[in-house]
Amino acid sequence: MNRLKLLKEQDAKAFVAYIMAGDGGLEKLSEQVLYLQKAGVTAIEIGIPFSDPVADGPTIEAAGNRALKAGVTLEKVLKEMASWTFEVEVPLLIMTYLNPVISYGVERFAKECKKARVSGVIIPDLPYEHRQLAQAFLKKEDVALIQLVTLTTTEKRLEAILQEAEGFVYAVTVTGITGARDQISEDVRTFTRKVREKSPVPVYAGFGISKVQHVDMLREDVDGFIVGSAIVEAFRNQTIEEIEPLIQAVTAPHSV
Amino acid sequence: MTKVKICGLMEERHVEAAKEADAIGFVFAPSKRRVSIERAAELAKHAPVSAEKIGVFVNASIEEIEETVEKVPLTMVQLHGDEPDELVQEIKVPVIQAFSIRGKEDVARLENSVADFVLVDAPGTDYRGGSGHVFDWTLLEEAEIEASRLILAGGLNAENVKAAVHQTGPYMVDVSSGVETDGRKDEVKIQQFIQQAKGDSMQQTADKTGFFGKYGGQFVPETLMKAVKELEDAYMEAKGDPAFKEEYHHYLSEYVGREQPLTFAKRLTEAWGGPKVYLKREDLNHTGAHKINNAIGQALLAMRMGKRKIVAETGAGQHGVATATICALFDLECVIFMGEEDIKRQQLNVFRMKLLGAKVESVTKGSSTLKDAVNEALRYWVTNVEDTHYLIGSALGPHPFPTMVRDFQSVIGEETKRQIVQHEGRLPDTVLACVGGGSNAIGMFYPFLKDESVRLIGVEASGEGLDTEKHAATMTKGTEGVLHGAFMKLLQTDAGQVLEAHSISAGLDYPGIGPEHAYLADIGRVKYESITDQEALEAVVSFSRLEGIIPALESAHAIAQAEKTAKTMGKDEILVICVSGRGDKDMATYAERLEGLS
Repeated sequence: MNRLKLLKEQDAKAFVAYIMAGDGGLEKLSEQVLYLQKAGVTAIEIGIPFSDPVADGPTIEAAGNRALKAGVTLEKVLKEMASWTFEVEVPLLIMTYLNPVISYGVERFAKECKKARVSGVIIPDLPYEHRQLAQAFLKKEDVALIQLVTLTTTEKRLEAILQEAEGFVYAVTVTGITGARDQISEDVRTFTRKVREKSPVPVYAGFGISKVQHVDMLREDVDGFIVGSAIVEAFRNQTIEEIEPLIQAVTAPHSV
Repeated sequence: MTKVKICGLMEERHVEAAKEADAIGFVFAPSKRRVSIERAAELAKHAPVSAEKIGVFVNASIEEIEETVEKVPLTMVQLHGDEPDELVQEIKVPVIQAFSIRGKEDVARLENSVADFVLVDAPGTDYRGGSGHVFDWTLLEEAEIEASRLILAGGLNAENVKAAVHQTGPYMVDVSSGVETDGRKDEVKIQQFIQQAKGDSMQQTADKTGFFGKYGGQFVPETLMKAVKELEDAYMEAKGDPAFKEEYHHYLSEYVGREQPLTFAKRLTEAWGGPKVYLKREDLNHTGAHKINNAIGQALLAMRMGKRKIVAETGAGQHGVATATICALFDLECVIFMGEEDIKRQQLNVFRMKLLGAKVESVTKGSSTLKDAVNEALRYWVTNVEDTHYLIGSALGPHPFPTMVRDFQSVIGEETKRQIVQHEGRLPDTVLACVGGGSNAIGMFYPFLKDESVRLIGVEASGEGLDTEKHAATMTKGTEGVLHGAFMKLLQTDAGQVLEAHSISAGLDYPGIGPEHAYLADIGRVKYESITDQEALEAVVSFSRLEGIIPALESAHAIAQAEKTAKTMGKDEILVICVSGRGDKDMATYAERLEGLS
């Protein structure tokens, strides 16, 4: 995760790609990771399917349902990742709802994450107030618990959350669920600027980033972008090469 | 952001008083505060799931420590003896090593500790002024120890903790005797200490209220935290306002038609041949069930918060109808999410909602029942959170919902308690209510919780049978987990995927159960039984014919269990059944399933 800090120091932007583990079968996962790291992404967020994904929009929920149908579980994903013999060149993150983690055992989860070379985890339904449930175990294994901040996060909370931030901060740029959108509201710029000013770690924008124009609009106010639904959709439609310009638009050196 | 640990707890009420602390400690070493493993396990049930449970040991063996960690269970271990580094490293959970600092050599020991955290015991320290320091803090300042690993203990109390935190900025403060009066923990002192230690930092507002034992909490995405906190504040404020209470009761009496009778069921009593049976008549409420008690309360609160848009989920349609009704009454915009399967089963209620001006959204995801309707309602709320109130229909969801719904439904139990004393001059022996999410049951039980002579029985749906996959018996078959914002009991797979529940009754068809029920089951205050689809249908017929009341399918579960329970009771005993709703909405199911009835 130090790479993320380095990138920020060099004023380069990060591109975090989200994929749903096991959408199209778990054997696809390594292929997808290899493809993305070759395409130049900065980090890869691997989603764990869940029966009740309340923070996700229709694209990711549908992908999760396909993965569940294929019998994918948190345990299987971590085992699969731990078995990889190829060189993982980018930080890997796990995004999962809390219930599968509780069911698997938080301590065991932290340990297996480490074995699977996971650098950080994102648990959208584990708010700041309840972070003790996982934080100590993850810390012990040197796995970061990525914090989320949103447009509705109050000033006081923002400060408290940022104080705990490790790896990067996930700035949710819409008041809503994940999914590709046509527009990004102007308030988002003010919000990300504020977060970035206060954050000790890089700030990445996510939820609703799917186009080069979104990237252009926010480029100066964030340290990177998280792209989910658009990538999930592209893998499913076998049009992933169409995402490459977006990756390029983010990661290429940019002169203002 | 210093954390607080309350150590040496021995009684339930002190664990409860410490629920806003980040950690609680049990002493397993010889001490006047020593507890057994069994006792600690019992006490831990009363602490929030997210609180650290820390065990204190002095020169214990690894076997003893491991056994205690597993059985309580503990999330951290604190060592006060001369434990070797190998033992510290062998312990699987995070370890706190305690040191008494008297001189430089102690500081060196502390610096070399391999534990995750070091606890500095500084007895007799006076933090208040610059003078009279027994302990030389400069020793610690020079020590190579990060504040993020430091836990401060010894001599702390509500008066000096603020200064101590300010001076050293530790990871955690640890108190035991500082929150005691005459050698016993003191609830008021515990709370004062936590408040002082947290100061006006956000932790104080981010407290852990909303936990029932270990269940409950606010497990929602960050986007919803502001709304949930605002709701919590607004509800706490409204709860203390007599005008709000008055308005709520005004609508209950003038619009809902309360209070409802507690009817003596003469023929049922004779037929069962056991206790005197009384029926709490929630079926007589406007809209036909208890759901409206809660809908009115929440709608009034939403308006008080300036929100004029309401989103709700519904299973059987009773809560949807109640919400749509109240939205019509108060001229609020109303969107109801309902599973496609439930829409098919409850067409009449769907039409009722539409007639009342609500928008009914069909949910085709997952099992297309209540659980999926809650998911969609939550998503809708996430997206429209600034101007919309989520009017949740059961004692479920993130805090403050389970507490708030319980409070709005408690009118059921309060009336019952008053009425039974009027009728019989004493409290009942047994009270039964059906449980899906558990709102009518918690409303009925809550006023009786402290009356230990009153046996409380919750009745869940075992569908086609407990040994089949088609049931909704969360308490009997469920395991702990998080769904829809709360830590509770769930029907789920080994991998933590939530299962579909099944019951002939759409209102009981939910794979979770309210957090307070999970807690009441754990501490044994409420017993939970289950009734099959078939048994409920049989109760519908006999109850209708004996009492002239056609019950809702949900309520029929409580009635069926009451018959079984009555067989074990004597004639001088009293049994109360909560008839949560009437059967009009289920008439299509009755006509189909009871075809050929003669």
